[in-house]
Parts: sequence; C-alpha cells; structure tokens
Amino acid sequence: MTNRNKQLVTGNEAAVLGALAGGAEAMFGYPITPATEILQGWINKAQTDKSLHFLQTEDETSAGFAVCGALLNGTKAFTASAGPGHVLMQDPVSMAENIRLPFVGIMMQRGGPSTGTVNFSQQEVNLAAFGGNGDGLRIVYSASTVQEMYDLSIKIFNTAWKYMFPTFLLGDGYLGKMESEINLTKSVNPVHSKKLLREQKIPTHLKNCYSSEEELAEILKQNIYDWNKHKNVIAESDKYRTGDASEIIVAHGLVASAAKEAVDLMRKQNRKIGLFRAITVHPLDTTALSVLAKKVKKIHLIESSQNQFSRIVKYELYGETTEIVEHSKPAEGFSPSEIVDLVQD
Amino acid sequence: MPKSWYAESKPHYFCPGCGHGVTLKQLGYAIDDMNIQEDVVFGIDIGCSLLAWNFLACDTIQTHHGRTTPVMVGYKMTKPSKVALAYMGDGGGYAIGLQSLLHAAFRNNPVTVILVNNENYAMTGGQMAPTTELGVATTTSPNGKTIEFGPGFKGPETVRSIASKDAFIARASVSNPLLLRNILKEAMETQTEKNNFSFIEVLSICPTNWKTSAEDSLKRVKEMEKYYPVGKI
Amino acid sequence: MSKRNNQTYKLLLSGEGGQGIQTIAKALVATSIEQGLKASYLPSFGVEQRGTPSIAYVIISNENINYPRFDSADIIMALANRAVPRISKFVTPNTDVLFDSSVIRANTFSKIAVHKFGIPATSLSREKFNPKSYNVLMYGILIKMLDLNPDISWKSLKNQLKDKFKTKKIESENKDAFEYGIEAVLERKIFFKPTFETKATINYYKNREKKGIINPARCKGCGLCIEKCPAKALSFGSDLGVFATPVPIVDLNKCIACGMCHQICPDGAIFIEKINNKENK
Repeated sequence: MTNRNKQLVTGNEAAVLGALAGGAEAMFGYPITPATEILQGWINKAQTDKSLHFLQTEDETSAGFAVCGALLNGTKAFTASAGPGHVLMQDPVSMAENIRLPFVGIMMQRGGPSTGTVNFSQQEVNLAAFGGNGDGLRIVYSASTVQEMYDLSIKIFNTAWKYMFPTFLLGDGYLGKMESEINLTKSVNPVHSKKLLREQKIPTHLKNCYSSEEELAEILKQNIYDWNKHKNVIAESDKYRTGDASEIIVAHGLVASAAKEAVDLMRKQNRKIGLFRAITVHPLDTTALSVLAKKVKKIHLIESSQNQFSRIVKYELYGETTEIVEHSKPAEGFSPSEIVDLVQD
Repeated sequence: MPKSWYAESKPHYFCPGCGHGVTLKQLGYAIDDMNIQEDVVFGIDIGCSLLAWNFLACDTIQTHHGRTTPVMVGYKMTKPSKVALAYMGDGGGYAIGLQSLLHAAFRNNPVTVILVNNENYAMTGGQMAPTTELGVATTTSPNGKTIEFGPGFKGPETVRSIASKDAFIARASVSNPLLLRNILKEAMETQTEKNNFSFIEVLSICPTNWKTSAEDSLKRVKEMEKYYPVGKI
Repeated sequence: MSKRNNQTYKLLLSGEGGQGIQTIAKALVATSIEQGLKASYLPSFGVEQRGTPSIAYVIISNENINYPRFDSADIIMALANRAVPRISKFVTPNTDVLFDSSVIRANTFSKIAVHKFGIPATSLSREKFNPKSYNVLMYGILIKMLDLNPDISWKSLKNQLKDKFKTKKIESENKDAFEYGIEAVLERKIFFKPTFETKATINYYKNREKKGIINPARCKGCGLCIEKCPAKALSFGSDLGVFATPVPIVDLNKCIACGMCHQICPDGAIFIEKINNKENK
C-alpha cells in the first residue's frame, strides 16, 4: 500500500485512474448504479486538477451528446453508464457512429431488460456492439479483472482516437464494486486527438442526414471498409491452458475469470480443458478462435445473458464443425464450481 | 448577402418565404458586425433547421432532434474561446429538447440558443407543436388544437422562470428584421462578453405548411406577436 | 406508341416537390385498379419540403406486384430540370421519355434517351387552362399511352383532387387540361423552346440616386419584399427565378432605399441602396 505503483481499488476507481492515464480530459455523465462511482471519482479528481472538465447532465442522452460536443473540438471525452442509461446512450452513440466520433463509454452491466437489477449481468453486449440504428461499427472490450478495468480504460481512448469508432469497455456491477490490488505501471503513448470541426478558413460542415439512399450508402461503405480493414489488428483475446486442450470454454468479462478458475479445477482432475477469453467482444478475435476451434472437439459458451455473446461467436465460427454447447444464465453470475458442474457431461 | 454566409450553398434549401432565411440573414449580419465568423460553431437540429447544414461559412454540426443544446454545452465547456450557437425549431426546442434547454439555462451554460418558432413541425409536413395556438388546425389537430393539448407554449417565459438573472432571454420576430438582428447580437454578446446563457425565440413564418401567401404569412406572424410578446423577457 | 397488351408497365414520374407528381401517380394507381389491373406505388423524396426532387415509382400490371421499385423504366415523365439527372439511370433503349418542353430543353436528353416526347405542358396550362394543371395534362397523356379508359381515369383523378377543386371553374379547367392530354400530339423532332427557366443573369437597376440588384438565380418568388416595401415600389415581373416563378422588379422612382426588402429577403436576392451612401450595408 505504500508502493506508489500499486493501489487497492474497486473496479470503478480503477476505471477513473485508467481514463486519466489514457488521456481523458472531460467526462459527462448521469448517476446510475453500478457506474455512479466513476462519475463521482472523476469529479473528485477534477476538484484538484483544474484542467479536467466534467458535468453531471440532466440525463444520459444529454451526457452522451455533450461528449459528442466535446469530441468535435478534439477533447478526449467519455461517459460511463449502465442498463437503462446505456439504452439512452444509443441516441448519441448512433450519431457518433455515423460521423466517426471517437466516443468512449465505460458500461457497467446490470440485469436487464428495463430497470432489472443494479448488480450484474452480461446483457449489454448487444447494446454496446449493435445498439442504435446502425450496423454495429463500434469496438467493444470486456474487462475480466479489476486490473483490466484499469488497463482497458487506458486502451479504449487510444483505440477510439486511432480508428475513430465509438469504443466501449464493458464491465459489470461486481467488477465495479470489488476491490483488488492493481499495478499502475502501464506506460501509455497517447494517440493525438484531432478536431473534427477543423477550425480552418474553409468551414467544416458536418451532417448525418442524407437526401438519398445512395448518399448514405457511400458513407457507410467507407465506414464499413475502415472497420473491416482494422478489425484483425484491433481484435484481442487471451488463451489459457489451451495448448493440449480437447475442449475449451469461450467466455468474456468476469465470467471468464470464474471460468479460468474452473479450468484450473478441472485440470486438477486431468481434464484437458482450456479457456479462450475474448478481450474484444466485437470485433471478436476470430483468427485465434477459429484456429482453436479446429483443434478441439467441443466448445462451451458461457455467459450471463441469453446468447448475446454466443450469437457473435457462432456467427464468426460459421463453417466450423466443432460442437458448441451454450450455457446461458441471463442476469446471474457463475461461480467456478458451478462452471465445473455445467461443463461436466 | 452577409460575409458569414457560405456562398457555395446558395440558393439554399429552405422553402420560398421561409422564416429561417430571414433569421439566418440577420444572424449572418450579426456575426459580421461582431466579427466572430471564425469563432462561431453552429449547431443545428433535425427538422427544417437541418437544411442549414452548409448555410454559414462557419463550422457546423447537425445533431439529433432536441440534442443541439447539450452538444453545444459539451463543446463550449471544453473550448470556451468559441462562440457556441444552438439553432433549432419549436419542436426540437420545446418538445423533445425542452429538458436540455431548461437545464442549460438552469446551469447558466454560456451558450446561445436560437429557436425559430413557426408553430408547427414543418419538415414532417405540418404537425401540431407545443407552440401551436389553440384553435389552429394542423395535420395532427385537424379540427384545431384543443385545450387538452395545452395552449401555445411560452418558451422564453418558462426559461426565464428558472434561468440565472444574468441570462439574456428575449423574443424577436421576422416581421422586424433589424430588431431581430440587434437581439441576436445582444444574445451573442451575453456569451462572448459576460459568459452567461442566452436564449432567443424568433417568431417565424411557414408559408408552405400554413398554406399562406406572403401577405397572409406576415399577417399571421403579427397575430402571433399578440400572444407571444416580442422583446426582452 | 401505346404498347399495352398484357404487359407490365414500369413508370417513373419525376419533378420537383410541389408539382403534383405524387397526386397523379396515386391517381394512376387508383384508376388502374379500378379498371381491373394490379398496380403499386412508391414515392421517393429528398428531405426538403419544397424544391426537392419528387419521384414516384408506379407499376401497372396484370400480374401480382411484389416489389415497388425497379432499375429501369418503360415510361419516364420529367417535369423539372433538376429531376433529369436522377432519372437517367432508369433509361434503356426502349424507354419512352415524356417531358415538359416548356421547362426542359430537349437537348438535355440527347445523351440520355433515345425516344423522347415533348409537350409544353406548363406553357399550355397557363395559356389555356389553369396554371397549376400541367400535371393533370400530363396525366391525360399517360392515360392515353397506357390505353386506359379516359372517363374512368378522369373520375379517379377527380376523386384524388377533390379538395383542390375548390370551384367549378377550377374543376372544368383541369378537365380541359386532361382532355387535351388525351388528344395531344407529342413533339418528336421539333420541340418547344423552354420559356420557364430560371433567368441566368442578375438584373441591375440604377438611377441618379439609387442602385440595386435583383438576382433571379436566388429569388424563390416568395413575395415578402413586395409585402414589406413601404413605398409599394416592388411588383412581380416576367423573369423567372429558382423555381421558375416570377421575380420582382423595382420602380426606382417610388423606391426610398429603406433597405427593408433586403432585410426581409430570406434568400439574399435583392439589394437596393442609395448611391454614395457608405453607411448603407
């Protein structure tokens, strides 16, 4: 605790530290459990660091649009929300998706739909990846530990500003509240921000409404091209004990951490099982996963939602003949021993 | 035409006789008079105001419906040297965007909101709006607006009731373009010189959806001025 | 030229918002169904309320129609210059292009269409019928081309337009336009020269004390300047503006150079000032 490079923090506190380290300059948000501490933490930091901007807005939609406003002049702005607030965010995120604003959001998933619970789920994958009225040109990371709440909160800013797509970090209510000691020694090379309203002699006129199908189609074609061009570089995953595995668990977020422990338990029983953990849920690291899929006999998809993640995985693995078994527990977590039981035949 | 108008986009997309053209001309001259063309960031709503997306020779951002105010609040907060204008219609400002308008006033955010009021949702074909007066027929009030939908909504008065005393709030009309220009200037100076919130409602005409001639359009806006008084609020 | 014989017709009607394209499209569909055929209709607009290209896809067939759009048309009707670029991709060597030759120059189609048929509909309407009835005239021509029954077709159109026929006079003017269209002989080689085009050059005015400009390429003919002028110095002239509607002219003798026309003009189309007065912006 006296080591300056280590700190005992909650996941939400780690997110604030990560955002700061990642170059964040402004946060706009609205209180909502279990993300409220991120807004509070940021505002506390802003009391002593006057270069930081903040505003608690009148609702999540305004928060998201205020983020868009700040992004337009090149400010690294972000928001944090959850559940129903995440739903409201789709209005501003859709605008960001159309005009390529590097919108950054940290979404602490809770039970849904509707008010649901304030506690935990993995049910906001669809929202983050495919929400709004577009085709899902967003980048979504999923944190599985408090350390990752810090590391990935740094990364999302660079990813957003490098590739100019809305970028999200999915956490959840357990991660947000649990405490863990984290390493703060990540070195960051912040990507330069750019002004989208360019402030040049020739004015920049940005619109997101088009008169004809063809006009919009041209814009989308370019956006889709860019997304596809970079998706393999952006996609990230982690393989745990998969070298000799005859079956794997595929999971993300905190569920993957429980699965990691389950893998260790099963390995003690000499079961040849490993874990493929998606760090990016969208784009999924299909390259790595399909190599693994060809090697193993069975894939166990485990998530705290009704197949939101599994739908992505199955889409990406289309053509592979490996048996896939889905274990869905929407709005409820999995303990490691529970996973062991589920995975037993 | 004003220097701050973007010549390449003329003739512009607004209908013949549209009050947006009159308002934007006076706004253009106000910007010229204050010499702030390079500092202005022009936010517009959906609705007919979206047709101004390339109207001014200033950086412009078209936002979602009712969301122009928070976009400009976020922009201005992080780049205070710019002059943030949020331009919208009566639908975007008093229906879907009323919450954000009120809160920007409540927080005294130093943005300038310009709301063009033609008493209907014009872009979508003339539906009833909060500012539609009682008895007026629209496509969603075919027999005339009745009291259960509220009388004509008095925006500046409402905003005044919760705004900071230093905020500048006024109503102008396209029937008096020079007064409109002065009010616009005073509003923008409230932002540039005093760092306070400013809000201007402009009573405007919509010959297309009102189905009126030039003469009748001007007569109607004069009638509107009896219910919606012009001047500082 | 009429080629109906158990054939499916794909018609593309195009013009500008405000020209009544959708009205006649809907009437075509209604009357086709009335006359025992199957028909479908789909409008396509730009965003603006006025001046936006207005397009209607109409399919008339003996067979069931599943999808309302198509890539190439059998008949195209064009009523505005700004609509021509939009329709060019629907033209095939067999497409008949019908156009208002008093508004669109025939040679606009030279690289686009093989079969073009002109009719000076706007000019005829102003001269003989009701100035706004040119779309009804075109409807008459289309009914003839499709070999549909004129009486039933007129009834369908009348039903469509009943709110607009405010007086018996207006109704009979439109009926005359329709009947003219049924009997019309279309221009095939020699075409009317357009008289309803936006004037390309600015009108300058000057006398000893005042000078000014009125720019038809900006003027939309709204009439606000005329209403606001305290000296009644402005009135509609004969030059045409952006939407081929009349542009004002100024009588400098009556004009007092107050600047009100300029302040009220939404389009920046008029500006009159006193000479040598540097303060007048």
